[in-house]
Amino acid sequence: MHISRYLLVIGLLLTAPVTIVSAQDVEVQAVIIQVDGLSCPFCAYGLEKNLKKVSGVGNVDINMKTGKATVELEPGSKVGDNELRQAVEKAGFTAREIRHR
Amino acid sequence: MMNYVRAVVLAVSLLAFAAVSLAGPITFNSALPISEGVGILRSQVKLVRKSGDATAQNRVLIVTAVPVVLAYGINPRLTVFGVLPYVDKRMDITMGATRIRRETQGPGDALFFGRYTVYQADRPGDTFRIAPFAGIKAPTGSHNTQDAFGLLPRPLQPGSGSWDPFAGVAITRQTLGWEFDTAASYRLNTETSGFVFGDEVRLDASFQYRVFPQTLESGVPAFIYAVLESNLIWNGKNQAGGVTDANSGGLTWNLVPGLQYVTSRFVLETAMQIPTVQNLNGSALETDWAWSAGFRWNF
Repeated sequence: MHISRYLLVIGLLLTAPVTIVSAQDVEVQAVIIQVDGLSCPFCAYGLEKNLKKVSGVGNVDINMKTGKATVELEPGSKVGDNELRQAVEKAGFTAREIRHR
Repeated sequence: MMNYVRAVVLAVSLLAFAAVSLAGPITFNSALPISEGVGILRSQVKLVRKSGDATAQNRVLIVTAVPVVLAYGINPRLTVFGVLPYVDKRMDITMGATRIRRETQGPGDALFFGRYTVYQADRPGDTFRIAPFAGIKAPTGSHNTQDAFGLLPRPLQPGSGSWDPFAGVAITRQTLGWEFDTAASYRLNTETSGFVFGDEVRLDASFQYRVFPQTLESGVPAFIYAVLESNLIWNGKNQAGGVTDANSGGLTWNLVPGLQYVTSRFVLETAMQIPTVQNLNGSALETDWAWSAGFRWNF
């Protein structure tokens, strides 16, 4: 009886991290911003820095070729399009389409 | 003394204006933005050698300058800049049968200026900007240094001693594959202790072409740009004690090939200034070459 309980606890502990990671994957929201005027790598830093200053923004991934900035939002956070648009403008660029994924 | 003036005035003009911006021209300013809350630290090593003295003095001048530049984006349109150079000037001269060296080292004159973007047109991977700039050169460098031979001539001093305002405009078109910049500027040099350098007018242009990577992949890859710049510089004649030095000032046109390695956090760059036309007044020394290498760092 005791052995089966231990096995059950061990089994739960082993699967728990997987369950948590899976839950995070489901909860991660991303916003894709089309940024105009972004045309050199050195400029990309200012865009990333200003987007990361927005409360609720996690990782920022910039694609120079397409001019798209993919902004991951922290779970449960609410970030408005206007905040993201202002961050892009503070970086010196122009935000066009903002799409939620 | 006027020999010194003739020999050094062009070197001073070459070193007086330190450019900083995002990746962009190496020898002058672009109109590219610095993001709000972002700073850029830039420094360079610049070497200038001048010789070819036709007189018995056989003057050879070597100037080394290390300008340190700080730029900060106040907002997306307004950027402020501060530049403080460290300079080392050495001139070898034949006096009679003796070869002597007159030299000086120390902080040079600081530059403080602002730049404001008045026009901006953005498209995917493409931007066009126009940004006037204005500022002042402050007399932070010594202008009364002495050596074993006495007071150094003013152009050999680390600083000019004068407050000199300047203004201009920069225009930039940048795409993912290439960039073109041009800038025009004017510096009004003022008098201190009876000496005034001639005013300076500059017309600069730069073309940068991305040679690596040839095809863009995803992410923010590092770029290597091949750079070709043009500096057209006119210097007015100096005045000492109210007397115009007919052997100072003139027109110089430099071609400047260079290379830049550009990442999202830093830029490494080098360039060689090749004097293509030196139409100098009187018998001034001509520049053999000027070389620079430096970095820029985003923070």
